[in-house]
Amino acid sequence: MALESPRLRLGIVAIVVVSLFAALLARLWYLQVLAAPQYRVQANTNRVRTIYTEAPRGRILDRQGRILVDNRVTDAVVVSREEMGSRSAEVIPRLAQVLNMQASDVQNRLSDKRYSPFKPIPVATDVPKETIIFIREHQSDFPGVSGVQLTERYYPYGSLGAQMLGWVGEINGTELAANKKKGYKEGDSIGKSGIEKVYEDDLRGQPQIERLEVDSKGRVLGSLGTTPAVQGHDVQLTVDLDIQKLAEESLQQGLQAARGSYDKSQAKHFIAPAGSVVVEDPRDGSILAMASNPTYDPSIFVNGIKPELFAQLNDPGSNYPLNERAIQGQYAPGSTFKLATSLAALGDGMIDTKYTVDDGGSIKIGNQKFRNAGGEANGRVNVVRALTVSSDVFFYTLGNQFWVQRSQYGDAIQNEARQLGLGKKTGIALPFEASGRIPDPDSRKKLHDQNPKAYPNGQWYAGDNVNLAIGQGEMTVTPLQLVNAYATFANGGTVWTPRVGDSIKDQTGVQLRPVAPQSVRKLDIPPQVYDPIMQGLLGVTQDPRGTAAGAFAGFPFSSFPVAGKTGTAQAGNKQDTSLFVGFGPTTDPQYVVGVVMEEAGFGASAAAPVARRILESLAGKPTRPVSYAPGGSPD
Amino acid sequence: MATASATSVFPLRRGATAAWRHVDLALLFSSVAIAGMGVLMVFSATESKLREQGFDPHMYLKRQSVWVVLGLAVMVVMFSVDYRVLRDIAPFIFAGAFFLLVLVLSPIGSSTRGAQAWFQFGSFQLEPSEWAKLALIICVSAYCATHRGDLDGRRLLTVIGLAAVPMALIYLQPDLGTDLVFGAILIGVLVVAGARPRHIAAICLVAIVGMLAVVQLGVLKQYQVDRLTAFANPTNDPQHSAYNLAQAKAAIGSGGLFGKGLFKGTQTNLSFVPEQQTDFIFTVVGEELGFVGAFTLLALFAVVVWRTWRTATLARDLFGTLLCVGILAMFVFQIFENVGMTMGIMPITGIPLPFMSYGGSSTVANFAAVGLVLNVHMRRFA
Repeated sequence: MALESPRLRLGIVAIVVVSLFAALLARLWYLQVLAAPQYRVQANTNRVRTIYTEAPRGRILDRQGRILVDNRVTDAVVVSREEMGSRSAEVIPRLAQVLNMQASDVQNRLSDKRYSPFKPIPVATDVPKETIIFIREHQSDFPGVSGVQLTERYYPYGSLGAQMLGWVGEINGTELAANKKKGYKEGDSIGKSGIEKVYEDDLRGQPQIERLEVDSKGRVLGSLGTTPAVQGHDVQLTVDLDIQKLAEESLQQGLQAARGSYDKSQAKHFIAPAGSVVVEDPRDGSILAMASNPTYDPSIFVNGIKPELFAQLNDPGSNYPLNERAIQGQYAPGSTFKLATSLAALGDGMIDTKYTVDDGGSIKIGNQKFRNAGGEANGRVNVVRALTVSSDVFFYTLGNQFWVQRSQYGDAIQNEARQLGLGKKTGIALPFEASGRIPDPDSRKKLHDQNPKAYPNGQWYAGDNVNLAIGQGEMTVTPLQLVNAYATFANGGTVWTPRVGDSIKDQTGVQLRPVAPQSVRKLDIPPQVYDPIMQGLLGVTQDPRGTAAGAFAGFPFSSFPVAGKTGTAQAGNKQDTSLFVGFGPTTDPQYVVGVVMEEAGFGASAAAPVARRILESLAGKPTRPVSYAPGGSPD
Repeated sequence: MATASATSVFPLRRGATAAWRHVDLALLFSSVAIAGMGVLMVFSATESKLREQGFDPHMYLKRQSVWVVLGLAVMVVMFSVDYRVLRDIAPFIFAGAFFLLVLVLSPIGSSTRGAQAWFQFGSFQLEPSEWAKLALIICVSAYCATHRGDLDGRRLLTVIGLAAVPMALIYLQPDLGTDLVFGAILIGVLVVAGARPRHIAAICLVAIVGMLAVVQLGVLKQYQVDRLTAFANPTNDPQHSAYNLAQAKAAIGSGGLFGKGLFKGTQTNLSFVPEQQTDFIFTVVGEELGFVGAFTLLALFAVVVWRTWRTATLARDLFGTLLCVGILAMFVFQIFENVGMTMGIMPITGIPLPFMSYGGSSTVANFAAVGLVLNVHMRRFA
């Protein structure tokens, strides 16, 4: 037994050993044969880091190819928070000293949550080369700090066209979710507004993709290959740099002039906080200039805007300089709307030029008395005269007539307005466009039924039609809609979708894709409709009693005849909105100029002089500073 | 004198000169082959790291080669002297091991990574626990062989007590892995020495309960528990044990059937696997030589184990058998635990892979162990 027993027991040992080896082999087979592909992928992702570097964006050019938004390369100092790690308390003050900055400013940059955790944070740009070399030579004192060349947005003309051109910022969660398929990553830049946003797909290039081999500590050992970046395409605009400059300058001067003038009705100076100008080519809807005031310098957004600056831009006290008022501002059009009322009345045959109204300064409709805004009496006027002198009484009468004969004409004024594109988005390729509103009996009833509290009045009265006829009441339009409506009249009836992008080009200037003009519809404006209105609008600037005659005194009409319409819109308790829309040369209209200025007084006084300066320059004449045209009439 | 008749049947195979002719060449060559592969793998695991840190990239290669040569020398010494001498001096061996294990805990010993386990001689280290394994095998085998067929409860307790002393000292270092090897050796020897099945069952039960108690009752430091249990809960990973394990598995798995080629393992060269020249040396084999290489290594180990087992069956006395069984238990447990750990089927403990892991003490001690087996084998007739 003593001999047999060890033998037996050695047998047991052998079985145990064989089982253990079998277990190891089985596991080895599983890992290296069955699951190998999965582990191969894992081992590969371990060692490869893919670094995306954004391509320089395409440039934005004016219609003549002049660069409105460019890129420039700047020597920047960036900090990787991860690499600096726990040494930041010691490194930041040292870095601040080298960069001539406050340590707190550097710290604020680094703790700014808007920066992606995946990318080094630019702490300073335009850093002298010597500083970057110094940091490189003392790298152990500056862990995580490096000098790089950043390509950043550069605005050669400062704030010119700022709202229209837009700004670029770091992509946010919503944008990332919406654009994931296009390959955006956290920390990427994306156009946030204006042209930068609308033409994002063209402007954004293809990022440089570099695959790096790294070790277990994340140290880079070498490159496994680089797909070079492809710069984004250039976007050429219909906007003309010179006209844009002219429009912005003139608007600024006009606002200044208004602020220096006294508002008798409110017994204080005009506030004139904001305004906008649109210059459009009525022949194809091209926007030549789009100015909005107040404005801002888009370069503050480069490399991330400081939080306090961003808060300031969005503070109500700053009057929202980021807003493009030409498409976002919604104003009562006032007397500029009389174009629509005239087109409706003449077009529907309700009146002709022989139809006259005796304007005694006021009119009683129902039991309500409606006055001319200035209270003056214009005598017997037909539609031509009524436009020239802006007789409210004449148009009150038309408004009432349309109401009385609504069974025959329906909502003719509203329909005409909508045909002209008022009260709805024009479809221009710019973001955040407002629609405005053309009220009618149905829409008012609908609003009332939906929300009786907010809209206590669900009924439409004759008085509503009367107010509508002179562009007051609940009606609002954007400056661009108004200009586009006058462009439609000026070109004989074609409603264009206003167009701000002209073409997409590559870096060498070869056109890749045109942005063709698009007409929405063609209105029928026969001579018996067109001629009297044109005559009336010409009178506005040229007739001695025309509402804008003062503002256009001395204008070179012989070479460049101009027609237009003033508007003075009441805006609740605020001072009047000043409007003017004009076009010229009326022999072959090439420019429609619209000016809207908030709380600036009569259209004739504030807006018309601004438009005059712009049109005078477009007529090839030297310009003079805008001055407020005092006196005048409300319209 | 049960052996008397055997000697008379084979008179020619008597004496020292005859014994040399019975060297087990299969065991010798397979262990040398493993050690050679080990040198190569250690080189591959360390070359890029050393180069990067500005050291001689051949440093570990040279050192491990020295250990292998030294190991071969010690092996020769170990099989030159009749193994039965060891039986007579077993008490002294035990005392010597005890002395060194106590000494290493004193300030004379050095500690690395939290374990007080080495004597530092210049740039060389001596790890007494590696030698204590052999000492335990010799002493337990000697005791059990002396009391063959008569391992009652009292003697069993004596054996356990004998083992418990060095185990306690090693636990103080602390080196839990080596304690586990001691346990495996003890159980292996006792099974073959003739301990009663219920005693064996009781010992196993106590060992399991004891291990659970050690893990559960907070006797272990938290990092040890985390390491041990990382293979079961990869999400609880304060010491990155699960990360290490994942990297180890990725290294082996990504090697595939034929491996990425010697020196071409990305997991290896880019230092993704920790402790790669020591505890995780198997991942280098797996990644660079693939299933074919890893299988070959396991096959070589199987040859070593098989020849050791065969020697155990052939040994001319129970002491020789038990020596071989103890060494077999030591090798098998270390191979299974170490390779199993890198593949995620065993807990992570710091046990070297015999002949493969970088380290002087373990390499030389392993060759000494092979020397003992060769000793038993070539003296099986005398």
